[in-house]
Amino acid sequence: MKILKFLFILFFIFNINNVALAKSNDQLELKISKNLRCLICQGQSIYDSQSDFAVSMKLLINKKINEGLNEKEIYDLLIEKYGEWIVYDTNLNKNTFILWGLPVLLFLIGGAIILKKLVFRKV
Amino acid sequence: MGLVSSILIFTISLKSYYLKVIDKRIFSLSFLQLFFVIISFTSLVICFVISDFSNETVFNNSHTNKPIFYKISGTWGNHEGSLLLWLLVLTLFLFLFLLSSRGEPKQYRALTLVFQQVIIIGFFSFVLFTSNPFNYLFPRPNEGLGLNPILQDPALAIHPPILYVGYVGTSLIFSATLAAVVENYISKDWAKNIKLWILISWVFLTIGIMLGSIWAYYELGWGGFWFWDPVENVSLMPWICLTALVHCILVFEKREILKSWTIILSIATFTLSMCGTFLVRSGILNSVHTFANDPTRGVFILSFLFLLIFLSLIIFFFFNKEDQKDNSKVYFLSKEVSVLINNWFLMYFLSVVLIGTVYPIFLEVISDNKISVGPPFYNKLIMPLLIFFLVFMSIGPNFKWIRETNINNKFQLITLFLVSLFLSYFLFYKFGQSSLTNILLLSASLYLFFVTIKDFFSKNLYNFSKKIAHFGFSLLILSIVLNAILSKEVTANLRVGDKIDFENAKISFSSIKSIKKENYQSIVGSFTIEDKRKIYEFNPELRIYDQPIIITSEADIKVSLFEDKFLVMNTIKGEEYFNVRYQIKPFMIWIWISTLLLAFGGFLSLYNRFHEK
Repeated sequence: MKILKFLFILFFIFNINNVALAKSNDQLELKISKNLRCLICQGQSIYDSQSDFAVSMKLLINKKINEGLNEKEIYDLLIEKYGEWIVYDTNLNKNTFILWGLPVLLFLIGGAIILKKLVFRKV
Repeated sequence: MGLVSSILIFTISLKSYYLKVIDKRIFSLSFLQLFFVIISFTSLVICFVISDFSNETVFNNSHTNKPIFYKISGTWGNHEGSLLLWLLVLTLFLFLFLLSSRGEPKQYRALTLVFQQVIIIGFFSFVLFTSNPFNYLFPRPNEGLGLNPILQDPALAIHPPILYVGYVGTSLIFSATLAAVVENYISKDWAKNIKLWILISWVFLTIGIMLGSIWAYYELGWGGFWFWDPVENVSLMPWICLTALVHCILVFEKREILKSWTIILSIATFTLSMCGTFLVRSGILNSVHTFANDPTRGVFILSFLFLLIFLSLIIFFFFNKEDQKDNSKVYFLSKEVSVLINNWFLMYFLSVVLIGTVYPIFLEVISDNKISVGPPFYNKLIMPLLIFFLVFMSIGPNFKWIRETNINNKFQLITLFLVSLFLSYFLFYKFGQSSLTNILLLSASLYLFFVTIKDFFSKNLYNFSKKIAHFGFSLLILSIVLNAILSKEVTANLRVGDKIDFENAKISFSSIKSIKKENYQSIVGSFTIEDKRKIYEFNPELRIYDQPIIITSEADIKVSLFEDKFLVMNTIKGEEYFNVRYQIKPFMIWIWISTLLLAFGGFLSLYNRFHEK
């Protein structure tokens, strides 16, 4: 079980690490637009789409960045306006804890089953 | 055409008859079935080729001035036709199974046939009742509505048939497994026989997914090759499951352990393929690839799916006899355990993809909350564990069966690990990026890469196919990681005559011209990109199709061994500016090459199997 705990902790460290900040405003803008859904398209991000909606969203993002808002503030603003549907990167909250937790839980259970089988066989 | 449909029904009733008859007549009957499906499929193709618009499917999806190649591929570029193709492959596979399994016990073959017929009947009635491709339109229209132009593409023309062979192969695995469970014929012989079908489906599924991905890369015009789009996930899930099964069946063939697990995997693989069909065809998913939305179809597939799952569960619980004689000792350092670990990780990846795809649907039904699960979710959950997976994959295959007593190449393995760690750190240092996940992921993939290369030099020549496939996989991960880290891009709005600087290169928009083509109007932009060594000419294109009126943009891609240069332009409404995006994507071509190697490894293993015989 020690290994599993270790894996678990490492896993979270990685995730924190992933949120490394983008360097410049341009990169931040790209990053944000890749993470937003174009609401009038079928499964395209704002970044990938050329629709009117996407174009105006890109302008909005640009404006907000220049106003000095950070990434999270921009997401919060958009979620308030358009709902959670617009953000590809879902937050961990009461609606999504199953989404994030279940795969990890299954992984741990799988590991436990394998370990148990091996230990039993040895006896 | 109605005649053909009635013949189809006739065949169904004939087939149901099988439940009682187990003798030579089966051959002629299943040939008859195959024959009828071929007839109906060919006649649909002919309808498309001669543009017979009295047929509703043709009317909806074809047009007279479409090139002949796309008239043919249009046959399966729509819901009805693709289902007919599915049926064709289904019956063809069944027939091939009958031919190839002469040495197997009679009861087992017959039962496989019965289960397969249940599936075939399900699909037959699905085609007939909800999506008949031969609906008749009375005042015969003069012109069709045309095929969606983004589907008019060579890679996508052959993508569905290949993918379907993979999908349908899983149905045969499913039926054969159930039959073997009932007949208590789960044995080494069975494993040998079924391995053939597992490998066939796996190879085709791999190539099918790759084709779809290549298509998305150059046709959708976004420069990405995998979007974690629901429809893509749906094809990835059976693939992961099949990959696990390929490994698992090897263990079973050698040692006859993991019996129940093998059965569960076979059932799961097919269920996932069916789920895929359900999710795509019902239009529940919001996706770029969705072409057909019809709730009644969704309900039909869903109930059929539940029936099959129910059936397989019943069979599994009532007939599966757990071996009481536990003669097998399993040691921690052994090939069996490393395959088990492989399966463990694969199941985790599978659960991530499955939950990520399905969860938003459930949440919306239950709580009215719409959420999106996109690439960040999959990256966060898969990447950290992929590192461990890669490390295990490097070490595991070196173990012997039953028990590894001394690892004689311990020294080599550790050295290689240190080398790859160092190398990736160096790479990051040079390119000035640092993120712990990326460094570790890169070192793990480099490690696997080195180890698999090293394996080619080891003396034993047996299992060459495994080496190729593992090498292909390592190359695939390595190129994906490098591609993700080193890609560069610029987006700008340009007019004719404008110039911008990017990464020591000058991009200039020199001219634009318009050409009339067979079924579209083409606007070709001409760009030059000048870096220190060379001048590149780029001619990205915008196509305005007549029928239906859709604008697509065709990227111009300069492919080379180390990087792809990718330039695409788009219109901006009501302005003389064009939106231009230029990307440098390193090692793109290696992604395709490595996938081919992966599939080739599977193919080689198939070839060996035939050779043994």
